[in-house]
Amino acid sequence: MPARTTHKDASQPVIEFRNVHFSLSGRQLLNDVSLTVAQGETLVLLGRSGAGKTTALKMINRLLAPTQGEVLVEGRATTEWDPIALRRRIGYVIQDVGLFPHYTVAQNIALIPKLEGWPGERVGSRVKEMLETVGLHGGKFEQRYPSQLSGGQRQRVGVARALAADPEILLMDEPFGALDPMTRGEIQNEFKALEGRLKKTVVIVTHDVGEALVLGTRIGLMEAGRIARIYSPHDFVHASDPMAAAYMAQLRVYDEAKREK
Amino acid sequence: MRLRRTRGTGALLCLVALFAGCGEREKGIVVGSKNFSEQALLGEILAQHIEARTHQPVTRRFYLAGSYICQQALLAGRIDTYVEYTGTALTAILHDPIEKESSAVFTRVQSEYKRRFQLEVLPSLGFNNTFAIVIRGEDARRLNLKTISDAAAYTPEWRAGFGYEFMERPDGYPGLANTYGLRFAESPRILDLGLLYRALLEKQVDLVAGNSTDGLISARDLVILQDDKHYFPPYDAVPVIRGETVARHPEVRAAILELGGKISDQEMQKMNYEVDGEHRDATEVAREFLKAKGLD
Amino acid sequence: MSLLEFFQRHQREILQATWEHVWLVGLTMIFAIAIGVPLGILVTRKPWLSKPILGSANVAETIPSLALFGFLLPVPWLGGRADRLAIVALTLYALLPIIRNTSAGIANVDRAVREAARGMGMTDGQILFQVELPLSVPTMLAGIRIATVLTIGIATIAAAVGAGGLGEFIFRGLAMVNDQLILAGAIPAALLALGADFVLGLVQHGLRPVR
Repeated sequence: MPARTTHKDASQPVIEFRNVHFSLSGRQLLNDVSLTVAQGETLVLLGRSGAGKTTALKMINRLLAPTQGEVLVEGRATTEWDPIALRRRIGYVIQDVGLFPHYTVAQNIALIPKLEGWPGERVGSRVKEMLETVGLHGGKFEQRYPSQLSGGQRQRVGVARALAADPEILLMDEPFGALDPMTRGEIQNEFKALEGRLKKTVVIVTHDVGEALVLGTRIGLMEAGRIARIYSPHDFVHASDPMAAAYMAQLRVYDEAKREK
Repeated sequence: MRLRRTRGTGALLCLVALFAGCGEREKGIVVGSKNFSEQALLGEILAQHIEARTHQPVTRRFYLAGSYICQQALLAGRIDTYVEYTGTALTAILHDPIEKESSAVFTRVQSEYKRRFQLEVLPSLGFNNTFAIVIRGEDARRLNLKTISDAAAYTPEWRAGFGYEFMERPDGYPGLANTYGLRFAESPRILDLGLLYRALLEKQVDLVAGNSTDGLISARDLVILQDDKHYFPPYDAVPVIRGETVARHPEVRAAILELGGKISDQEMQKMNYEVDGEHRDATEVAREFLKAKGLD
Repeated sequence: MSLLEFFQRHQREILQATWEHVWLVGLTMIFAIAIGVPLGILVTRKPWLSKPILGSANVAETIPSLALFGFLLPVPWLGGRADRLAIVALTLYALLPIIRNTSAGIANVDRAVREAARGMGMTDGQILFQVELPLSVPTMLAGIRIATVLTIGIATIAAAVGAGGLGEFIFRGLAMVNDQLILAGAIPAALLALGADFVLGLVQHGLRPVR
């Protein structure tokens, strides 16, 4: 199987890594990473802790810059972009969410639109729209504070906030990792449906195989700062190479344990 | 995190109100003084006379710890006036070298105070609180001694008693001995200031250096030898008053002017003795003085 | 005369001295906050400055206040006016709690919040004013409260160098061996300190985070 599967859209990739290296304090965290992400794709970076997934993700919105090689977003090197302008075009969701505790849900979601100077009315209706989109119905969430929400609700608000300014690209770093399995499963499915509707370019970092299979249109397996291989979900499930197989084995063990109960 | 705007700012406003509300109030005239009884007496005399003449209430802010503190209080407007000594003003406030001639010192202090600080220095109250060389009255009469030069002939037979500071200051004993060619039988005894006069009276010493307005001098049979060579700098007692106060209350200045030249060395000695020696109340002593002078 | 009668008789002077004291402390706190908060922010932006800045403030704190007043006397512009001198010295004293609490308050902002803010494209200035400072308000206020009470106390010593205020009553009372004068300075000063602590406590309470 070739290491790369070409996607339908043959025009310029939205995100591209060209021989990216990154080291910090003498440690090599990314070692010659090259990949592309096409418009509308969801690339999942899967790997163990310390494989370099988060580091690679942070290259895209320039929270980190390559020590060698370049990362291109919409055809331009991240180092050429104005970092603020770049980040405003990219939605960013992290595991701990990082909602502003002193802002209401509405104020949190409205953050980027407000910074971008959207008129008040448009902001207000967008907030309502986003809450509906992430499944927080009923209009009673707007005035609540993050401390008054459950973990799952907070996570949803985080996604709403990331999508509020309608960015082309969405980056997610273990977004559902802190949730219990039930909630996680629910949210993953909802997100999958959302993905289909929104047609954004998404890069997700996770160490959860199940999540990778549900959410990804392609799965990039990372190990020790490199891309080992990129698969389609189908190929990953039936993969024969040891690493992928190990992941799948782990999943089956889990499945069997479930069935036994 | 919600900022409880109303409660928080309410409390903040209270703080601001407290700050602004204890506002600067029209405080009347404030008379200051340094922290020894002569100063408190002078301050009281000034205060009572101003009250009598201008019918304005006067606040007393006495026993401030020294010339620097009084000067700062004047500059900041915390007091309107106090009595300073010309020699001290020259050296301690203006940091100019000491001069010996009384009117030269006065003129310099007056002009510099006006130029640098916008403070007005009024003419002397009439006495000079400088160092005094004091001997027993009987000796003065017996040997017909009036000046320090007169006494210089006899000092080889005498013992002297001085305070620690007088011994150490270059403008104290060393300069004095030099100027007058004084030599004593033994080196001078160093005594506590409070014990100097007692030692003199009990003939343990024959000559001491005190202050010319010390109370005991008039109360006992003691004589100040004239400083004929003008060794000691002048410390004329002069009222100092804020320029602003003069502008706003010219009547206060007029009242203080009336006190010019009204207190002689002896009269100051007598009042000091009544307070320090007889433990009378300075307010009473001041009131009696003003009455006796027809100034009330 | 009883103490109460003494206070009544001299109430105008006591209030006057209290106003002088409040003025000294008020100006000091304005300067200390205006200098201390930016320095506290700077320390979080350039961590290598933490040692020199906090170290200097610490040294200022360690010098006995009376000695600090004395050191500044010969300085030309300062020594000439005791209230200037006092305010400079008092400001130096008030700086440490304010710098320290500002930088600690900002440093304690949740890492995730900061990362999310940055990742979403907020500028450093926007993060500072919309996230870090608002979240640090409680800690900063605690530092300001400490500094204020400290300043009210040390300002009594400022009278020793001629700056006026309630300390002057105390020093005069000591010189005249007059207890009532001493208390005329000491009691209002203590009440001021308690009052300021109480009011700032209310402000702290009013601005506390919602839980």
